[in-house]
Amino acid sequence: MLIDIRDLYKIYNEGLESEVRALDGVSLTIDRGEFVAIIGASGSGKSTLMNILGCLDIASYGEYYLDGTDVNEKTDRELAHLRNKEIGFIFQGYNLIPALDAYENVELPLIYQGIAPGRRDGMVMEALEKVAMADRYHHRPSEMSGGQQQRVAIARAIATHPPIIMADEPTGALDSKTGKHVLEILHRLHGEAGTTVILITHDNSIAATAERIVRISDGKIIYDGTKEGAGL
Amino acid sequence: MNISQAVKMAAKSISSNKARSALTMLGIIIGLAAVIILVSYAQGQNLAMQRYYESMGTNKIQIQAWCWRGGVDVSTELYNYCLTLDEYVKGVTPAQEVWSDFTIKYGVKTLGRDNYETRPTLYLGNDQFSVCNNYAIAKGRDLSYLDIKKENHVCVLGAATAQDLFDMVDPIGKSITINGMPFLVVGLYQAKGSGQTEYNEDGSNWQEVAMTRLDRVILTPYTLNRVLNNNQDIEQYVAKGKDSESTKMAVALLNNFLAGLIPEDYGYGQAYSEDQYQESQNEANAMQQRFLGGIAAISLLVGGIGIMNIMLVTVTERTREIGIRKAIGAERRSIVIQFLIEAAMICGIGGIFGIGVGYLGTLVVGKLSFDTILLPSTGITIGAFAISVAIGIIFGLYPAIKASGLQPVVALRAD
Repeated sequence: MLIDIRDLYKIYNEGLESEVRALDGVSLTIDRGEFVAIIGASGSGKSTLMNILGCLDIASYGEYYLDGTDVNEKTDRELAHLRNKEIGFIFQGYNLIPALDAYENVELPLIYQGIAPGRRDGMVMEALEKVAMADRYHHRPSEMSGGQQQRVAIARAIATHPPIIMADEPTGALDSKTGKHVLEILHRLHGEAGTTVILITHDNSIAATAERIVRISDGKIIYDGTKEGAGL
Repeated sequence: MNISQAVKMAAKSISSNKARSALTMLGIIIGLAAVIILVSYAQGQNLAMQRYYESMGTNKIQIQAWCWRGGVDVSTELYNYCLTLDEYVKGVTPAQEVWSDFTIKYGVKTLGRDNYETRPTLYLGNDQFSVCNNYAIAKGRDLSYLDIKKENHVCVLGAATAQDLFDMVDPIGKSITINGMPFLVVGLYQAKGSGQTEYNEDGSNWQEVAMTRLDRVILTPYTLNRVLNNNQDIEQYVAKGKDSESTKMAVALLNNFLAGLIPEDYGYGQAYSEDQYQESQNEANAMQQRFLGGIAAISLLVGGIGIMNIMLVTVTERTREIGIRKAIGAERRSIVIQFLIEAAMICGIGGIFGIGVGYLGTLVVGKLSFDTILLPSTGITIGAFAISVAIGIIFGLYPAIKASGLQPVVALRAD
């Protein structure tokens, strides 16, 4: 089992009148090589779940085992290594560094991994080629369209060849044609490299391309199964 | 991530955020240059004061003494008494200025009452005049004991007066006339001043002008008093103390002696040293230096606040950036090191420019105000550099330390 979470809670302003339970006792397991879509209305807690899965946030209560090790036990440094090597995170808002060009953005995770400059060049260009952005490696985010930026962001996420890709509404800010193209890239990664893909979306047609659907409402999982069972 | 990678990353960040980097550097440059220039100005003023005092001679004792009761030869008595003070005093000389009008001629050149600017002070003194008044012989010889004894018509010229009379000609061995009497030029004094006769706008070069006045002198044997000074009594003397303690002692002893030598109501005798005046002047200077230092500290502070502002304004932007870096796997340490190097580079470059501007400004101020090559002190430069770099680094590091400890999502959400 690659991901195993048990009884996960994320509570804001706990004990106050304004208490919000973004996650209210979530348990979920995901196996290596799965393609999972997490769906739900906005405010359902799906992004919170994804952030915790991606080690970008910590749960208030509950257990999280990633590849058999307890994430809650990990030091800040070990978490940084997890984010760097095990997980490629794709954001809705791309989150590229505006001052750096495409090449430099993709290079960053490799630098943090400590890969020698000589080897980085090949890895950066390989990742950019996979998303068909190699010819624009010198463009800055401000010089690229949304779809291009998202493709660079994907290249950054896959540059270190992580076994898991997590994408939080990767097509949310894109038109349907560009969105489809981004989705194709994720499917190709899943098919060719056997990468585990976890995808958040509120778009049913995108969710329908996944093998497994997890539906969240009010911080709880209310459905976990095939797309047919979800009625998509 | 190793250091060379962090340096590259920091350099990249500086060059991609040109406006931010430039404004930060500007804060440092202005603060640093202001401190260097202001403190140097104060030091320059002190230096000018010090040079002025040195040119006049330290431990100089001025004596005014006269007696109109017959039978008291003040000059000889004073001279002999000073010989007994050899523990405290190096020498003593009459230093009588000729108050009445006189005309000095060499060829077609005339110096005298008509032109105040070039009118020299005509002194009657002895062979110790130079030592007592801190003149050094540049060429030829000083007055000798024999010149005094034999009432030789010889003179020694100050540098500016020699220039006024002789221009390019070598004055030694030439004959000038004072009130029509021929005098042989036997020696020349070294210049004390830089030749400035004009006060600049703020009058800050008054010491230079005063020192140039000291170069417009003619020294003749005091034994020529009769012919040069209408045989008036010699009333002005100068003695030279060995050091500041001896000078104080000698002033007290001399006053005591003069009180005994010159009967009350039949004359006047007073010895004093300018050392005390110098001390109070030095105190005033030190106070001015502290005042300018305070202003300089304020400019450093203002520069620091400027740096702080720019750094804090970009905290949100930088916090997001740090969130992104953390999300793709940067360790806290890597982020802090990158920001540290970035701040150090900006401040270092800004600091070097600031020192450059400060040095240039100091040279300009030194030229304009003191007409000298003024350079900032190394201590002030290093101190001001260290402070401004420290401010820059502290506020450059602030967002890194704050944001790198956050959960990546929290940092990413910053606005």
